[in-house]
Amino acid sequence: MSKLTTGSFSIEDLQSVQITIENIVGAAKEAADEKEAGPMGPSPFPGLETYRDDWNLKLLDRYEPVVTPMCDQCCYCTYGPCDLSNNKRGACGIDQLGHNGREFFLRVITGTACHAAHGRHLLDHLIDTFGEDLPLDLGDSNVLTPNVTIATGLRPKTLGEIKPAMEFVEEQLTQLLATIHAGQESAEIDYDSKALFSGSLDHVGMEISDVVQIAAYDFPKGDPEAPLVEIGMGTIDKEKPFLCVIGHNVAGVTYMMDYMEDHELTDKMEIAGLCCTAIDLTRYKEADRRPPYAKVIGSMSKELKVIRSGMPDVIVVDEQCVRGDVVAEAQKLKIPVIASNAKIMYGLPNRDEQDVDATIEELKSGAIPGAVILDYEKLGEISVRLTEEMHEIRKAEGFRDIPSDEELKAWVDKCADCGACYGACPIELDIPEAMKFAKEGDYSYLENLHDACIGCRRCEQVCRKDIPILSVIEKASQKLIAEERGWMRAGRGQVTDAEIRAEGLNLVMGTTPGIIAIIGCPNYIDGSKDVYYIAEEFLKRNYIVVVTGCGAMDIGMYKDEDGKTLYERFPGGFECGGLANIGSCVSNAHITGAAEKVAAIFAQRTLEGNLAEIADYTLTRVGACGLAWGAFSQKASSIGTGCNILGVPAVLGAHSSKYRRALIAKNYDESKWKVYDARNGNEMLIPPAPEFLLTTAETWQEALPMMAKACIRPSDNNMGRSIKLTHWMELHQKYLGERPKDWWKFVRSEADIPLAKRAELMKILEAEHGWEIDWKRKKIISGPKIKFDVSAQPTNLKRLCKEV
Amino acid sequence: MVDTTKNTRLFTTYGVSTSRAINPNMAAKMISKAKRPLLVVGAGVLNPELLDRAVAIAQKANLPIAATGSSLPGFVDKDVDANYINLHQLGFYLTDPDWPGLDGKGNYDTIIVLAFKRYYINQVLSGTRNFSKVKAISIDRNYIQNATMSFGNLSKEDHYAALDELIGYL
Repeated sequence: MSKLTTGSFSIEDLQSVQITIENIVGAAKEAADEKEAGPMGPSPFPGLETYRDDWNLKLLDRYEPVVTPMCDQCCYCTYGPCDLSNNKRGACGIDQLGHNGREFFLRVITGTACHAAHGRHLLDHLIDTFGEDLPLDLGDSNVLTPNVTIATGLRPKTLGEIKPAMEFVEEQLTQLLATIHAGQESAEIDYDSKALFSGSLDHVGMEISDVVQIAAYDFPKGDPEAPLVEIGMGTIDKEKPFLCVIGHNVAGVTYMMDYMEDHELTDKMEIAGLCCTAIDLTRYKEADRRPPYAKVIGSMSKELKVIRSGMPDVIVVDEQCVRGDVVAEAQKLKIPVIASNAKIMYGLPNRDEQDVDATIEELKSGAIPGAVILDYEKLGEISVRLTEEMHEIRKAEGFRDIPSDEELKAWVDKCADCGACYGACPIELDIPEAMKFAKEGDYSYLENLHDACIGCRRCEQVCRKDIPILSVIEKASQKLIAEERGWMRAGRGQVTDAEIRAEGLNLVMGTTPGIIAIIGCPNYIDGSKDVYYIAEEFLKRNYIVVVTGCGAMDIGMYKDEDGKTLYERFPGGFECGGLANIGSCVSNAHITGAAEKVAAIFAQRTLEGNLAEIADYTLTRVGACGLAWGAFSQKASSIGTGCNILGVPAVLGAHSSKYRRALIAKNYDESKWKVYDARNGNEMLIPPAPEFLLTTAETWQEALPMMAKACIRPSDNNMGRSIKLTHWMELHQKYLGERPKDWWKFVRSEADIPLAKRAELMKILEAEHGWEIDWKRKKIISGPKIKFDVSAQPTNLKRLCKEV
Repeated sequence: MVDTTKNTRLFTTYGVSTSRAINPNMAAKMISKAKRPLLVVGAGVLNPELLDRAVAIAQKANLPIAATGSSLPGFVDKDVDANYINLHQLGFYLTDPDWPGLDGKGNYDTIIVLAFKRYYINQVLSGTRNFSKVKAISIDRNYIQNATMSFGNLSKEDHYAALDELIGYL
C-alpha cells in the first residue's frame, strides 16, 4: 500500500477535485525515523527524563542550585498557606528548596511558552500568507536550524517542514506544565533538570520564531552590513503624526508598514517602536539594505516615558513586555490604543467585524479608549489613518504639549520630603534628595535620575501629595531626552557557516578570547550606560560581541568623543572585535546556534538528536559568556537557562537575584573540577572556570572580570590561555584594584602565563606557591596540578570515551 | 474584662519573618561575641563617608573584609585584610560548612553587611537565613528583612551617626 504524504493531488477521472493533506498524525516522529540513514544522536524528540541522567545531573553536580527564596510561605494549594522557612515542609510535603525550585521552573516554562506561542502565531500566520512551501532562505548557510536539529533530528527547509518541531515543543511544554501541579514533582534538583530541558525547548521556539520571519519578511540574512537604524526618543520628529508600536510580535506591524508604503506616507509620518517589535520592524524588507524609515525608541523602561511625552498619536500593542497601564495612561492624553494580538486585549471591545471608517470615527471621538483589532488588513489601514487624524485633533487640543516650567515648579514645591518614594523605588533612586535640590532651583539631580529610572511609577502611587513624579523627572530631563539619538545596526540574523569556519579554530584554541553575548531587558542596577561600557571594553579587547533585544538597543544610545556609536566604530560581523546585532529576543537562538555550529561545522559533531554531546563540547571548548544585565522577565530566565544547558554561562544584574535560583560551582572543591579524556577515558583535571552557569554581579565593573574569567576553557592552547589570562587579569586589576588571587590555578606551563608579565609572575609562582622554576631555560619544572596536552579531548560524558 | 487584643499570633506565617531591629550598641555586642566574624561590604562603600567608617569598623573590631562587587579598590591602600568575592557566590559558600573561607581557616559564624542595594543583599541573605546557621547583622541604611538583626530605615545623616556610635562601642 502506498503511503500518504502531505501536499496536494488530483484524482483521475474526477474533474475539479483537488485534495490537500496538510498534516498527518505522527508524521513528525516518522520523519525523524526516516533520518536514520544519516547520523543521529541518542536523544531525538526528548521527553522530561531524556537529558536528566546523561547530562543535566552532571551539570548540576558541578553547578549547584543556589536557592534564595522570595518568601517563607507557600500559598500554592488550599492546604496552605504553609510556612516553609528553614526548609520546613508544607502540608503537601514539599520543602522550601523544592517549592523554590518549582518557582524558578515556573518562570522558565512561562518564558518558553511565550516564545513558543510567538513562534506558533508567526508560523501559522506566515503559512496562511505565503504557503507551506516557502523556502527557509536564511542566507548562505547549510546549517539553518541548529536548535531544531539538536532537539528533533530534523533539518527543515520550508515553513511547512517546521511544523513537527513546533508541535514537539508544544507537547513537551504541556508535559512540563503538568509537573507544577500540587503533589507532583517535589525534588528541587529535578525541577532544575526540568528547567534546563525547558530552556533547551525555549531556544527551539525562539529559533522557529526568528527563522520563519527572516524567510518570509525578507529580514537581513546573516548580513554583517545590515543598515544602521535611528534609535532614541530624540529621533522622533514632533511635527509629524506618530504611530507608536509596543511589544514583540511584528506580524501586525508589517501591515502598517505596507499601508504606509502603498500610500507613500513613509516620509510624512513616524513609525517607531519599543521593545523587540521595534527591532523587528527595522529588519522588515531590509535584506537588500534599503534606507530604513522605521525607528527604534528603546526598551520597555521607555514605555511610560514615551506616553507621558504626549508624542504618540496612536499606540498599537502586540504581545510580551507590554505594560499593564498603557490604556489608562494613554487615555489621559487622548491616545487611542489598539490591541493587535489576542494575548493582550486589555478589556477593550473587538472591532474586527466593524467597517474601517466606523471604527476610525469611534476611536477618534473618544467613545472607546481603544479597540481590539486582530484582522491585520484592517489593522494596517486603521492604525495609519487614525494616526494621521489623531495628530491634528491632539495638537489642536494641546495633548502633544509637555508640561510647562511653571507646572514643574508647582509640583516640586508640593513635596513634603516624606521619603515614601525612596522606599517604593525598585532602583532605590534618591528622589527625595533630587526634589530637595529642585526646590532650591537645581534640577540637575532630577535630570540625573532619568536614565536609571525604569519608568514604573511606583513612586507616584505612594506619593501623599499626588505629585506625578515620573513626569517631574521627565520634564526636568527634557533637554537630555531631545539629545537621545543614537544608531543601532538592524538585526542581522544568524551567524553564517562561513563565519563559523573562519572563527571555529580560534575559539576552540582560545586565541579568540571569547564570545560575549549581551542580551536582555532594561532592569539595570544603575542605568543603561553600564552595558555600553561592558561592550566597549570587550570590543577593544577583540572579543566577539553579539547582542540582541534591549541590550542591542541600549548600547547604541551612547557615543564616543567623536560622536560615534559602537555600531559605527566596530564591524557587524561575527569576528574578533566585531559587534554583531543578531536581532530581537527570539534571535537569541542564533547565539546558542553559533556555539552549536562551532561543534557541528568546525568539529564535525552530529547535531541531530545530540544535545548532551554538543553542550559538552561547548562547555569544555567554546569560550562564551552571556550578560543579561537588566534581565527582568520570565523570558530572560528561559533564555538564560537554555544557554546554561548548552554549556554557556551567564552573568545577570543584581535585580536578577530575584529569580531565586542561581547555578554556582564550589571553586574550592577539587573533586568537582575533573573531566574525562575522550581518547582513553582517563580522568583529567580542569581549571575552575567557568565558576558559574547563572549568577549575578553587583556592578558593571565586577561583571567585566567575571565574564572574562568565564571564557576560560580546558581546551585552550598555550597561546589561547595566555591571551585569556591576560584579559582577565588586566580587567581584574583595572576594575577591582588588584591582580586576582587565583590566577595561578589556570597555569599549566610557562607558555600559559601572560607574555608581558611572564618573568614577574614566574617569580610569584616560585616565591608564593613553591613552584620549581628553571630560570636559565625560563621553564616551570614542577608545580602545576593540571598538565597541558595539546591533543587531549576533554569531555564530561564517559560514554564518549574510547575503551570504556 | 477580657483582653481580646493580647494574643494575635497567626496560625501560619504570612510573607517573610522579619529581622530584629537593633541599635548600634547591640550590633557592637553581636560583633564582639562572634567567633568567626566577617565584614561583608558592597560597592556602595566607595562613597567616602562609608569607606572611612567601614575601615574604622574593620580595624577596631579586627574584622576581615569580604569586598564584594567592585568595592575592593577602596581598600587597596588601607591597612585592612580585604579580599574580593562575588556576593552571590559568598552567600552560597556561607551555607557550606566545608567552605575554607577567605583565609583557609574555615567558614564564618557571623557576617556584618554594609553598603548594598537593599534588594540584592536581602535576596542573598534569604539563602543564608533559610539554609545555614550564619548570623547576619545589617548595619546598612535600609532595614534588611532577611538579616538576623538589622538597623531600621535611616536617613543618610542618621546612618553615618549610627555607624559612628557603633565604632565607639567596639
